[in-house]
Amino acid sequence: MMNKRSTTQSVILYALVLALVIFCVFPFLQILSTSLKHPIDWGNPSLIPRVLHLDAYKELLGLMPAKEVDVPASVQRLLDNPALSAEKKQMLLDKFSAGGDVFPFGRYMLNTFVISFVTGICSTFLASLAAYAIARLRFPAQSLMANGVLFVYMVGGVLLMVPLYQMSVNVGLASSAAGTIFSLFLIYLIQTLPVAMYMLGNYFRTIPFSLEEAAMMDGCSRVEAFWRIIMPLSKPMLFTVFIYCFVIAWNEYLFASVFLKQYQDFQTLPLALQTLFTSKNAIWDRIMAASMLTLLPVVICFMLANKHLSGGLTDGGVKG
Amino acid sequence: MSSVILRNVNKSYGNLPIVKNLNLEVKDGEFVVLVGPSGCGKSTTLRMVAGLEDITQGEIQIGSRAINDLPPHKRNIAMVFQNYALYPHMSVRENIVFGLKKSGADAETIKEKLADVSEMLKLDDYLDRKPADLSGGQRQRVAMGRALARDADVYLFDEPLSNLDAKLRHHMRTEIARIQHQYNMTAIYVTHDQIEAMTLGDRVVVMRDGIVEQVGTPMEIYLQPTNTFVATFIGSPAMNLIEAKIEGEDLVFDNYRLPAAKIANVDLQDLKSHDTVLVGIRPDFFEDSALSSPSDNLFEFNDIQVELVENLGFDKEIMFKLGGEDAKARLDLRSHVKRQENISMSVDLNRVLLFDTSPQGMLLNTGEV
Amino acid sequence: MQKREEHMSSVLIKNESRLGLKLVAPAVGIIGLLVIYPILFNIYLSFFDVQLNGTKTFVGMENYTDLLGNPRYYHSIGVSVIYLIGTVIGTTVLGLAAAILMNQEFRFRNLARGLILLPYFAPVISVVFGWQFIFDPVNGIYNHVVVDVLHLTDTRENLIGNPDSALFVVIVFDIWKHFPIAYLLFLAKLQSVPKDLYEAAAIDGQNAWGRFWHVTLPELRFVIATVVLLRIIWNLNRFEDVYLLAPNVETLPIFTYYQAFAGIVDQGVAAAISVIQLLVLVGLIWLYVRKVLKW
Repeated sequence: MMNKRSTTQSVILYALVLALVIFCVFPFLQILSTSLKHPIDWGNPSLIPRVLHLDAYKELLGLMPAKEVDVPASVQRLLDNPALSAEKKQMLLDKFSAGGDVFPFGRYMLNTFVISFVTGICSTFLASLAAYAIARLRFPAQSLMANGVLFVYMVGGVLLMVPLYQMSVNVGLASSAAGTIFSLFLIYLIQTLPVAMYMLGNYFRTIPFSLEEAAMMDGCSRVEAFWRIIMPLSKPMLFTVFIYCFVIAWNEYLFASVFLKQYQDFQTLPLALQTLFTSKNAIWDRIMAASMLTLLPVVICFMLANKHLSGGLTDGGVKG
Repeated sequence: MSSVILRNVNKSYGNLPIVKNLNLEVKDGEFVVLVGPSGCGKSTTLRMVAGLEDITQGEIQIGSRAINDLPPHKRNIAMVFQNYALYPHMSVRENIVFGLKKSGADAETIKEKLADVSEMLKLDDYLDRKPADLSGGQRQRVAMGRALARDADVYLFDEPLSNLDAKLRHHMRTEIARIQHQYNMTAIYVTHDQIEAMTLGDRVVVMRDGIVEQVGTPMEIYLQPTNTFVATFIGSPAMNLIEAKIEGEDLVFDNYRLPAAKIANVDLQDLKSHDTVLVGIRPDFFEDSALSSPSDNLFEFNDIQVELVENLGFDKEIMFKLGGEDAKARLDLRSHVKRQENISMSVDLNRVLLFDTSPQGMLLNTGEV
Repeated sequence: MQKREEHMSSVLIKNESRLGLKLVAPAVGIIGLLVIYPILFNIYLSFFDVQLNGTKTFVGMENYTDLLGNPRYYHSIGVSVIYLIGTVIGTTVLGLAAAILMNQEFRFRNLARGLILLPYFAPVISVVFGWQFIFDPVNGIYNHVVVDVLHLTDTRENLIGNPDSALFVVIVFDIWKHFPIAYLLFLAKLQSVPKDLYEAAAIDGQNAWGRFWHVTLPELRFVIATVVLLRIIWNLNRFEDVYLLAPNVETLPIFTYYQAFAGIVDQGVAAAISVIQLLVLVGLIWLYVRKVLKW
């Protein structure tokens, strides 16, 4: 602590740190490495590909040139038949083209992004109102609500899976794509609201009361003090909470799998990736490239929010 | 500007009374200082005026309207907070004009007021900085500026100088006094610092345990404290209180006999109904007999053994025993008294105060102002 | 000065409480509708035979008796217990070790601190594929090291394919993914341990181990209890990390999922499992709120 480390101690320290960091990072390196390897290279234990192979990324991002369609002669004859409508011809062609094989990654990414973004915004907004009230205002049942948040926060989604599904069936939401997506959005909202309220509540408690009082002296009502002083002041924390909620929704698999199974066009990345993995074997490069691309936004978010995130999470236990 | 009237104001948290039956009228343009030890209810009183605490009982008026049920933002009050409470995400300029803008002032007025305030408080160079980039003294000035820019009915100050170091505090104290005279504002100023109370207030309200002990001008408070609490709380070093026996018309302690008849405004008949009284002599009223000009109303304390001398520059404080208690006197630099030596000191009997020995220690003579 | 009080008298206090209720209403409404109500609805459903399309037939206690007579249920409880013990001990110990390590001064500390948080934030779906590849019998580095480099066995094994060894992989994966949150909680506490406590201990002649035992551990007691209890609470409900990596490891949530959405669907039984699990959970949360938060 106070005396300088000996060389041996330094070596041990750096070795331990290095071991820990490698343990944490190795699976990520494995994903990156495999995504860049040619299939013949997969058995190679080295993380560095013998040849850089970007086909998987190109394919996922739709940068692959359209594959030559390999049509049997019998079908080709049909196609040459002028009596057949152009539509029918295209349908026939599609059967043989790579179309059925293409993984609409961009579409899934957009789906996931939209629902995560909307969840993040709504959750952060609603949570900020509630957290402010619980942290700052006196009203009946205030402490009940503060404890209730903690309780709700710990009830995992698995326990609610059946009743929530049944509820959405009962009110008819599960029978349409829009209704299903709306159900999913509501579910993501409740999965993120408690933690967002918890983080923001802890944060609001650190803001001195006198700031709102000063605002009220300056002619703001309580609500205006909240909007014009507390909210702008809390921007970094609001952003952090938004990111946290965004990532929860981005990563969610369970409810997506329950609700979106039959609506292929609206699937989110986790569900789509799982389907891709179980449906086709030995396409490690594409799976890994897709994983990499799913990972990337999260890592970027994480880097943006890291400063406040660690503190926000540890001010009282947090979902893990 | 408006007057502020507090009528039978009570505040309690559950069963715990904080302010008890407080009555006070702050006149239009008057600067009133609430002073007292911590927990005396002075800040709570201020916050009730501001609307930041509700009033358990009683009524507060600003001008002619009762404001009990008016939310804080509708009371047209400006306030300077102890911790400044500057908006951290706004620049100095935005902090100062925030309230003005909120009140719907036009651009011209805002510009004028900002220029006014920033010049007066020497903030011109910092207008674009954020509070985090300012020193304590600068933040304090911004907090002042934010309040002064407002055209408020009443200005409230909640220990605004207590977070500053001694030198800055003195500087800002004179600034506030200057501004107060310039603006002639109605102000209530809370402090635990009796020097601020004495130097800033048109009138001073001394509080203890939620009760107003005395209201008066600084000189009234200093020269005619109504009881021993006020007497010892105001003035530094604190007033010496010496228990004396009444023997005939003399007040006797150690081997001194003070002639009560020579003390100003003493009701001798009333005095005789007491067995003992407390004789109050401020340290400032002692003089080195070797230096004092003779006068028939001086009382001489002979052969006092000096236990300790503290040289403070122009003043020296000396410590000695009087009536068996530790006592202090403040003499000026011409006195050559030394530790362990004997000295004779004289006191003008017109400045001597008498208190009864009840727990309240009420003033028996009215002194001379 | 800012002591809060309860009694409701003035207009100002009434205004404040009205505003408070207005602000919490949306969030509390949604939580009430989509958490509290479903919990109650779940109890109701557990007495019915429930189909995916919503048809219900009242069956009384049958779901519960079926469940309690089902060996698969007890098996999944056993798997869950092993999973909980392994992951709770693993994350706590590794989290504490990492926190002590990262509390030392060294170069690139901030980089290292950032990197070890990555597993926690990464989407499960992405990282499970990395782990699956590592343990892949044909291409994986694990089999390469065990068989080709160390020659511990002759045959390449499919660790994830076999439910027994997959449980072990799932535990290691969970530790890898979730020790960072334990680490963060420990690190925050370590940073607040006053330095002079260590200096005093050093002056008293305590070596590094003694300082850890007599200064660090007592200071961390509360955080350790928090971590252990929170890990149990979260991991009792953990689904995705297990299911996506090794769907053959049947912990309670996985078993529930299979009952509710796969094979012969029996959502009533799934509801019954959830009811029982909720009771356990409420007990744990009560313990956390009463004992740990009150410390």
